[in-house]
Amino acid sequence: MAKQERSGGSILQFSPFQSFVDEGFWHRLSSLKLNKFGIDDSPIAITGFYAPCSHSQVSNHLTLLSESLPCDESEQSSVPAISLGNRNRCSVPGILYNTNTLEAYHALDKKSLLKEEAKKIWEDIHTGKAVEDSAVLLRFLLISFADLKKWSFHYWFAFPALVFDPPVTVVELKPASQWFTSEEADSVSVACNGWRNSSLTAGVPFFLVCIASNSHATIRHLKDWEACQGDGRKQVLFGFYDPCHLPNNPGWPLRNFLALICSRWNLKTVHFLCYRENRGFADLGVSLVGEAVITIPQGWRDLQCVPNAVGWELNKGRHISRVINLAKSMDPAMLAISAADLNLKLMRWRAWPSLNLDELSSTKCLLLGAGTLGCQVARMLMAWGVRKITLLDNGRVAMSNPLRQSLYTLDNCLNGGDFKAMAAVKSLKQIFPAVEAEGVVMAIPMPGHPVSSQEEESVLEDCRRLHELVESHDAVFLLTDTRESRWLPALLCANANKITITAALGFDSFLVMRHGSGPLNSSNDVKAESEIALSGDMDSLALADSGGERLGCYFCNDVVAPTDSTANRTLDQQCTVTRPGLAPIASSLAAELFVDILHHPNGIFAGVIADSTNSGGGDQPLGILPHQIRGSLHQFSQMTLVGHASESCTACSSTVITEYRKKGKEFLLPAINHPTYLEDLTGLTELMKSASSFKLDCNNETDDDDDDDDDYVEL
Amino acid sequence: MDVSCWDGTLSLNEFSRAARTFAEKWKIGNSAFPPWLWVNVPKRPFVASQQVDGFLSLENICLIRPSKVCGAEVSHLEEEETGFSEKEVAIDDATLVLSNHHEMHYYDFHIVYSASYRVPVLYFRGYYSDGCPLQLNEIEKDLPACSAKVLLESKWTFITQEEHPYLNRPWYKLHPCGTSEWMKLLFLGEAALAEKRVAIELYLVSWFSVVGQVIGLRIPIEMMNDRTN
Repeated sequence: MAKQERSGGSILQFSPFQSFVDEGFWHRLSSLKLNKFGIDDSPIAITGFYAPCSHSQVSNHLTLLSESLPCDESEQSSVPAISLGNRNRCSVPGILYNTNTLEAYHALDKKSLLKEEAKKIWEDIHTGKAVEDSAVLLRFLLISFADLKKWSFHYWFAFPALVFDPPVTVVELKPASQWFTSEEADSVSVACNGWRNSSLTAGVPFFLVCIASNSHATIRHLKDWEACQGDGRKQVLFGFYDPCHLPNNPGWPLRNFLALICSRWNLKTVHFLCYRENRGFADLGVSLVGEAVITIPQGWRDLQCVPNAVGWELNKGRHISRVINLAKSMDPAMLAISAADLNLKLMRWRAWPSLNLDELSSTKCLLLGAGTLGCQVARMLMAWGVRKITLLDNGRVAMSNPLRQSLYTLDNCLNGGDFKAMAAVKSLKQIFPAVEAEGVVMAIPMPGHPVSSQEEESVLEDCRRLHELVESHDAVFLLTDTRESRWLPALLCANANKITITAALGFDSFLVMRHGSGPLNSSNDVKAESEIALSGDMDSLALADSGGERLGCYFCNDVVAPTDSTANRTLDQQCTVTRPGLAPIASSLAAELFVDILHHPNGIFAGVIADSTNSGGGDQPLGILPHQIRGSLHQFSQMTLVGHASESCTACSSTVITEYRKKGKEFLLPAINHPTYLEDLTGLTELMKSASSFKLDCNNETDDDDDDDDDYVEL
Repeated sequence: MDVSCWDGTLSLNEFSRAARTFAEKWKIGNSAFPPWLWVNVPKRPFVASQQVDGFLSLENICLIRPSKVCGAEVSHLEEEETGFSEKEVAIDDATLVLSNHHEMHYYDFHIVYSASYRVPVLYFRGYYSDGCPLQLNEIEKDLPACSAKVLLESKWTFITQEEHPYLNRPWYKLHPCGTSEWMKLLFLGEAALAEKRVAIELYLVSWFSVVGQVIGLRIPIEMMNDRTN
C-alpha cells in the first residue's frame, strides 16, 4: 500500500515493529520491583531482541525476555537460557520507564520521552557511534505500570523513527532473486549465510553488500564504507535484518538506517537489501531489494536540529496502551486453586470416575464445634474440594489447644486467646485462600441449662440463628464436646432434613455416625421421596411415617441400640482426656462418610447397603454406606452398626419435631428450662439422669481452661 | 533388554541418548519444522548428581488463526481509553497501517525427563503474538480434532497445568502417570514384528508418535520406520 505523491516514485511505507513480551519478562520485572527497585522509578536500561524474518507469512517481533532486564550478580541464575547464540537474538538497546502508580503511567509525557530517545539516535548518527555499533539505530522505549496486586501490566512500546520531510520515495522494490543475476544471487546468499553463521557478525543487523564486477559478493561492516568505494565495485547495497515478511514493504529498521546513510554519506539514492530468511538460511525470494530516493531535509547537517520522530506502537490500529493480566500464572492464590483442582481431578481420572467435584465444591458445610474434631474435619473437607465451610464455636483458643486442634498456633492463644471460630477461619484461608469460610461465635442453647428470664430473649435469638444456619447449609457436622449441646442441632437437622454427621470421642473409643432422615416431609425432599417410592427400592424406604425404617440419630441410639452394650463401655464422665490419635481418626471417618453420602443416589435417605451390587447405578467403589462406625483403640478395632430411629427420640421423633414446628419458642424454652419436659413429651427418663451431671461440665466449658480441649462425651 | 520384562520406563542417561536420536531423526524427516534443541540445565548446588541434566526444546511454532470477521472482537488485552490527545501525531505517511490482523498463536514444547515416573513428559504452552499466555480452553481449540477424542477416551492421556520443573512458571503438560504402561504395550506390539529387544534409543520416537497426535505434531512415517540407524 503505497501512496502516490509525485512522479518518480511513491512514498516508501515501512511496516512498524511489533512487540512481543515473554511472560518471563513480567515475572522478572515484578520480582525486581518488589525486591530491588522498591519505589525507585528511575529509568532502567533494557535489551530487546530481534531476528530477521523467518516465516513467509508472519513477521518477527522485537522481543523482551526475562534476560532483557539487567542482571544482578548476586542472583543465582537457575533458569537455563535457551541459547541460540546471537543468531536469532540480535540485541538492541532500550529504556524502560516503570511507574509506581497508574496515574503516573498515564501522566507520562509520551511526546517528550519519544523525542528524548530520538535525540539519542540522532546523536549516535552524528558522532559516528551508529556506524560502529549499528544496533543503536533500533533504540526503543517502553513505558509500563506493574500492578502487583492484580498482577496486571500496563505497557506501551515506542520504536523511534526519524521522520523525513519530505518523505522518502521508492522507485523500485522487488524480490532480491529478481534484482540480482543468478550468479550474484548465489554469491550474496553464501556471503549472507557466512555473516549469519559467524558469532562475530551474527548479531550485527546493519551491513554493506558489495558486489564486484565478477559477481562476487562480500558483506562488510558499515565502517568499511569508504573502503568499499571505487575498486570497480559494481554496486553497493545497504543490507539490514528485516523482521517484516510483507512482499511490498520494508521493515521499520530501514527508517533510521536511511537517516544514517543520508546524514553520514550524503547519498540521495540508496539501494537497500531487506534481508529475510527461511529455515535458517538466506532466502532471496522473500528478501527484497529496493531503490529509495531521498530528499535530504534542511537542517539535517545540524546536530542541534533534531528531526521529528514517530513510533508509538498501535494497539490493533488504535492509539491506546496495552494491558495484560497474568493473575492465572502469577497469583499464588490462583495457582493454589489449580493445583488443588488437579489433585482432585487426578483422583477422579485414575480411581473414581464418578467423583462429583462440582457437588463437593458447592455443598455448604456447617461445623458445630471448632475443637479437635472441628479443626480436623474442616481440613479433611477442604482436601476433598469442599469450599464452603462455616465453623461455629463460642470458645477461645487455650494454651493447650494448638497441640490437638490442628488449625491453631501459639499466636492464637495470646492475650486471652482468639475466638476459635474466627481463628479457625483465618487458618483455613492461609491453607487455601480460595476457601469460603465463615466463623460464628455463638453458644448452642442446651437442655438442662435453665436460663433466667432476662436471658430468654438472647437464648431464643441464638436458637433462631442456629435454625437459620442449619436451613442455609447442606450438611451439618455435630462436633461439640458435650452431649446436651448436640440436642438442639440434631433436632434442627431432623426438622430441615439435612445431611447430619456426628462424631464423638471417649478416652480410647469413638463414634462416627450419620443421622437418618427427618420424620416429616419438608418441601425440598418431596421429589426425592417420590423417586425412591417409584424405584421400589426396599432398602431405601427409610421415610415411612411410622419411623420404623428410618435410621436413627445420635439421641435415638441410646435407647434402641441394644448391640452397643459390649462395645460401648460407659465411660467415666469425669475424665476429660482422650487419646490424641482418636480425634483425627474420627474426623477423617466423618469426612469420608460425608463424601460417600453425597455420592449415594439416595443421599440422606440411603439405607445401609451391605454389598455394592445394590448401588442404584453409580460407582460405589467403597461399598457400604454405614450408619454408625464405632471404634476402639484399646483393641485397634472398628465395627459398623445400625440403629433405627426411635419413636420416643427427644431429638428426631415426629412428636418432637411436630411440637417444635407448632410451638416454636413455647417448645424450646420449656425444653431448655425444665428437665422433665422432653421426657414427658416423649416418655423418656434417660435425659433427666444425665442432665444433672451436665451441670459440672457446664462450668468447665464457660471457664475456658485446659479441660476444654478434648471433645470427650459419653457415648 | 527383553521386552517382556521391561517396565516401560527409562533412565536419565537413556533419556539423553534417546533425545539425541530423536532430534537427529526429526531434523532429517521433518524439515518443515525447526529442529529440537537440547538445553542443558545448570546444576543446582544441592543436587549431588553427576549426570548431565537437560531437556529438548522446540519453540515459537506459529499457528495462524483466521481473523475474526465480526466487529465485536473479544480481545485478550484489556483496552484503555487514554491515549494520545488529538493534537499529537502518532504516525506519519511513511508508516504502513495494516487493517487485517490475523490472530497468531505461538507454541513452545519441551520434552523433560521425570525422575519420579522415569518417563519423558511433554510440557507446552501457548501465547499470543504479543506474549500474553493462552488459556487451556483456547489451546484446546487449536488442537486437532482427533486430539480431543484421544483426551476424552484415554484414561492415560490428559492435560494438566503444573509448574515447569526448571522455569518455575505454570506450563501445561500431558500427565505422565500412564506413560510407562502404554509405552510397554507399544514396544510389545513392535517387538512382535521385529526383534524381542527394546531399542531404548528409539524410546522418544515411539513415545512422540503417540503424544504428538494430541498436540498435532505428527511424526512422518520415515522417522518411525528407520530402525537401522
